[in-house]
Amino acid sequence: MKLAMLLLLSIGAATQSDFTPPRLADGHPNFGGIWMAASLSAAFNVEEHGASYGTPAGPSVIVDPPGGKLPYLPGMRERAADNDQHRERDPVGQCHMHGVPRVMFPPFPLEILQDGNYVLILTETEHGVRIIPTDGRPFLKDYSAWNGDSRGHWDGDTLVVEVRGLNGRGWLDQAGNFMGAGAHVVEQFRLTGKDTLDYQATVENPAIFSRPFTLRVPLRRRPADVELLEYGCIEGERDAAHLPPVNGEKK
Amino acid sequence: MIRSVLIGMLFAGTAWPQGQSRDLRGIWEATGTAYQNLEGAPAQRGQPAAKSVVVDPANGRIPYRADARKSADRNSKERETSDPLLSCFQPGVPRAALLPEPFQIFQNPDRVVIVYQHVHAYRVIFTDGRPHYDEGIDFYMGDSRGRWEGDTLVVDVTNFKPETWLDNAGNFHGNKLHVIERYTRTGADTLRYEATIEDPEVFERAWNIRVDLARHTEPNFQLLEHECERDTKGVYRHPPQFLK
Repeated sequence: MKLAMLLLLSIGAATQSDFTPPRLADGHPNFGGIWMAASLSAAFNVEEHGASYGTPAGPSVIVDPPGGKLPYLPGMRERAADNDQHRERDPVGQCHMHGVPRVMFPPFPLEILQDGNYVLILTETEHGVRIIPTDGRPFLKDYSAWNGDSRGHWDGDTLVVEVRGLNGRGWLDQAGNFMGAGAHVVEQFRLTGKDTLDYQATVENPAIFSRPFTLRVPLRRRPADVELLEYGCIEGERDAAHLPPVNGEKK
Repeated sequence: MIRSVLIGMLFAGTAWPQGQSRDLRGIWEATGTAYQNLEGAPAQRGQPAAKSVVVDPANGRIPYRADARKSADRNSKERETSDPLLSCFQPGVPRAALLPEPFQIFQNPDRVVIVYQHVHAYRVIFTDGRPHYDEGIDFYMGDSRGRWEGDTLVVDVTNFKPETWLDNAGNFHGNKLHVIERYTRTGADTLRYEATIEDPEVFERAWNIRVDLARHTEPNFQLLEHECERDTKGVYRHPPQFLK
């Protein structure tokens, strides 16, 4: 396993040195375009999973810790398993934005646009928005939001985004893997080819996990004529009343 | 000093040159209270007075067809329960630009993106001449295509769903709505917003509104997340700080 990881890392490094990204006038790589996770596996379950009703089998996207399992604290894996039995709790099913990092690998396209002091990420699903200032400004104080508060900076050709202020209600995937209050996420975006964008996120959330973990999902560019279309979800929503009660609450 | 030089370098390096009148980038918000009632209204409990922003017809009134005026009056009576914004609808156009909440304009050479703080609605407005998305799909925010007329960004918006309103007062449209917006820089921190609104099933003629937008110049000002949600009892909820 360790060998496989080393191999993977060295392939990554080779790709990085071989590929010169297209650049904007400011010298930074141009990430602009419509992207989508190369595989939908992570959207279903970030851990390795067998096929089940409505879910194709897929490998783990957790690259650290080795072994590909989320480093849940005692008792937390049971909560995730319980979520999996109660997917009506999934915030996305209730029309909420995905939260970071799940927002980067939904089964829908997303658009990245760079504009001077900002990197903008628009997701088709839930008409989600992430506005990422790269001008060095401080984080908001006492902020709590589904997509948190993001600050970006460039490390060579890698865009590094630090995310705070996540509201702790977000899930990691459809299988009920979850995060809690106080999560701190550091993301890395790097072009590995003309049409491939490597996305990594390291999540630190001591209330839920015994150590930080890192997931890695490659994104693939969609054709140039693809446009994001409007996604309606909550408007005039009448189905939620027919779903099973959330968290055992009575209607 | 170093920081301002760095920021200057960042601006200088972008694809879109700064300091030009076609540069609409920034965080903007409507001045005045057009969101209350496009036709103007006296102050009422919990609502500031509004001045009509209808500049054509000259009487400042929306040229409704007779039956449509009755619907608008009914909406107005039921506004405290029927306003689609209360139940998490995206605001539609032009209402999105008039809300008492900021929006941010991003710009690349081939597109302008507007992100509204209100329920994080957004519009991607292509300015590269590609045609409307014409697949028979309707959108709350419409389908927007832009072009430059001199230094004015002209946006043609079609393919609307009929459920959105035009203001808090229940002024409305149908699904034949067609909006032509015009964004014109009038100063360093001011942007003029004009819209021509037509819908032959609801209005007797096309009509125009005009509203001035002001730039948010507070240091590090940013849009906040305004998520609308439906709680377990089925009640729609907005974060209290965004209610007006």
